[in-house]
Amino acid sequence: MAATAVTAGRLLRLRAAGAEGHWRRLRGAGLPGGFLQPASADGDAAQRRQVAHFTFQPDPEPLEYGQTQKMNLFQAVTSALDNSLAKDPTAVIFGEDVAFGGVFRCTVGLRDKYGKDRVFNTPLCEQGIVGFGIGIAVTGATAIAEIQFADYIFPAFDQIVNEAAKYRYRSGDLFNCGSLTIRSPWGCVGHGALYHSQSPEAFFAHCPGIKVVIPRSPFQAKGLLLSCIEDKNPCIFFEPKILYRAAVEQVPIEPYNIPLSQAEVIQEGSDVTLVAWGTQVHVIREVASMAHEKLGVSCEVIDLRTIIPWDVDTVCKEECFLNLEAPISRVCGYDTPFPHIFEPFYIPDKWKCYDALRKMINY
Amino acid sequence: MAVAAAAARVWGSSRGLGRVGLLLLRRSGARGLARSHPQRQQQPFSSLDDKPQFPGASAEFVDKLDFIQPNVISGIPIYRVMDRQGQIINPSEDPHLPQEKVLKFYKTMTLLNTMDRILYESQRQGRISFYMTNYGEEGTHVGSAAALDSTDLVFGQYREAGVLMYRNYPLELFMAQCYGNVSDLGKGRQMPVHYGCRERHFVTISSPLATQIPQAVGAAYAAKRANANRVIICYFGEGAASEGDAHAGFNFAATLECPVIFFCRNNGYAISTPTSEQYRGDGIAARGPGYGILSIRVDGNDVFAVYNATKEARRRAVAENQPFLIEAMTYRIGHHSTSDDSSAYRSVDEVNYWDKQDHPISRLRHYLQSCGWWDDEQEKAWRKQSRKKMGCKCLPESVHCPPRPWSSDTRSTAAQWAGQTLVSGSMCFLALPLTTSSWAHPFSSCLGLLTSELPAS
Repeated sequence: MAATAVTAGRLLRLRAAGAEGHWRRLRGAGLPGGFLQPASADGDAAQRRQVAHFTFQPDPEPLEYGQTQKMNLFQAVTSALDNSLAKDPTAVIFGEDVAFGGVFRCTVGLRDKYGKDRVFNTPLCEQGIVGFGIGIAVTGATAIAEIQFADYIFPAFDQIVNEAAKYRYRSGDLFNCGSLTIRSPWGCVGHGALYHSQSPEAFFAHCPGIKVVIPRSPFQAKGLLLSCIEDKNPCIFFEPKILYRAAVEQVPIEPYNIPLSQAEVIQEGSDVTLVAWGTQVHVIREVASMAHEKLGVSCEVIDLRTIIPWDVDTVCKEECFLNLEAPISRVCGYDTPFPHIFEPFYIPDKWKCYDALRKMINY
Repeated sequence: MAVAAAAARVWGSSRGLGRVGLLLLRRSGARGLARSHPQRQQQPFSSLDDKPQFPGASAEFVDKLDFIQPNVISGIPIYRVMDRQGQIINPSEDPHLPQEKVLKFYKTMTLLNTMDRILYESQRQGRISFYMTNYGEEGTHVGSAAALDSTDLVFGQYREAGVLMYRNYPLELFMAQCYGNVSDLGKGRQMPVHYGCRERHFVTISSPLATQIPQAVGAAYAAKRANANRVIICYFGEGAASEGDAHAGFNFAATLECPVIFFCRNNGYAISTPTSEQYRGDGIAARGPGYGILSIRVDGNDVFAVYNATKEARRRAVAENQPFLIEAMTYRIGHHSTSDDSSAYRSVDEVNYWDKQDHPISRLRHYLQSCGWWDDEQEKAWRKQSRKKMGCKCLPESVHCPPRPWSSDTRSTAAQWAGQTLVSGSMCFLALPLTTSSWAHPFSSCLGLLTSELPAS
């Protein structure tokens, strides 16, 4: 039964394609929802559960930013965009399908509220979207570009890495595109397969001149997105799509900022440090409590938040390497493209992380 | 009403037709703030008419199978004002520019030519690492720059130094950028010819090709929103027009109704690749209509044709918030860069033809002479003056100017280093051959200088 309990932990909730709004045609629509059943020794099929590989843990209601409202992650994004367009008359939002509200509903209502010259569709061309956004930013206006899935950011890689990141440096600060922000749905969703699940932040993590930010929750998302929009450097803001609806918490209605390049220690601990970003933060939170319960191990949990420039001081205190009692362990997907039906086996779920932690403390 | 009833029967009220029999379906998408060109409208939707109802095209049916033949034998005609001898062909097309303006055209083009020769030689002598000349294309720079407002934003590729020169960018700063010395506004960070000037609205050049095209469109969109009465001009070569970014830029400009001028310098070569290997259609101008962009092909060596086309494009782009495409036909007389020897892929005869028979500077000089605004005396005096500007003043300053230091601490070390490695004393660059009546292209100037040594210090 213990073995089946472990496999039960691998059940996935597969979402209906329609629930998210439009999926892009010709790029593989998700299949309608279904769920895996646990094999059970006594043939009892009554226990059907839909379980994602994580449980979203909301943070306590923030009290320092005024009135809050229950929002999920895409609503928090809409709120941040709404605040930005209200505050900054030069701000515009553009990308594929943003006009009707976006395939993940992040821009619902904004076109009606701010006008079709400020919230508009572009042709289907990521290199054009980012190049166009750079041009807007060069004139000093605020450009908020959407790339429909992070998996499709690659045609824009040249514009991001060779142009946006280098604009200020190469011109000797005569020109810059600091008022550009690129937002994009990111990460695994349960059925996204190769091209709706990618986490491409590593490709950008070594490119000086841009900032890459990934929130773990609605409250974090709004504050970090507002900081990205106001930051004087081009920023990429990846939004974990699996959290768009799954993550719900109290989020301030008014604008507020969460600083970039500052990791957050969510939980103090003394034995092991666990670092993650985005959805995975909730996985390691659970791993930390499992470690505490089963092994009596005290884990420090850190949400990195900004991937580049990253908060090296929080993660890695000076001389820490001399004090490590075990090599650093990296738990991630396998070196294969992101699979469809095999997603549960590919994901660095809490069991893999727990296993790595156990090996580490027994090193 | 019968139509309405029939339509309602077919589709039912759930389709939203309701009582309204005919529904005009408009194409959704961003609309310009001041749109005056006709938008594409759907035909009224009715299943009884045998007309195409497709949202994707506004066209009639045809029952004969026929592929459209691309016309590359007799392509889009080339607009020109002057003939090769600098005579106005159609007087109504003469822009009748005042003498001082036309003289400024001439002096800018010739000064650019002189600067090119000095800096090309600088590279050959190891003083700068790299250079790209503008020989043969001076007309495209000056004609277009003159037609713009001084605040119109320029996105260039790398062979548009004449645009910056027309806007009075100091020679010292051109050279400072090439030398990467402490005077360079770009802080010595890029290879030579990657100029930029915020004051003169010339966006810093970058090496990747065509990346500036969608950027120019974005800038134009922002200018439109700001009601800035500003056009954005975007220069690129016919080779760069093959990049995906070019396609992206054209399409965005048209769909988002941006006041941008796409100015393509079709100079026959992309390094060694001739146009026959770059495209198979009728050049770049023929692509414009495919995007819904008003397009024209002009004689790039005719500075008045370039001027007229750019002037009109500017006027309409701002008034109507739509893009324009100008393909300026010209010829790259020089090598691609100092890293190139174009005799490897083209004949000296071909180059000589353009240098001697169809050069923008010569054609304008003939025009000036026929107006009585220029003569051989002035020509001689001007040559001397421009060489003096370049050779005796700017160059030694740049040569002796310390390179930009790594940091302010190392500045003194850098100055020391500069003093030791560069030749001090007077630089005698007046050993440029005072050859013919035409402004010699690099081949002859190269030969001349090989035999004249610079004085050592």
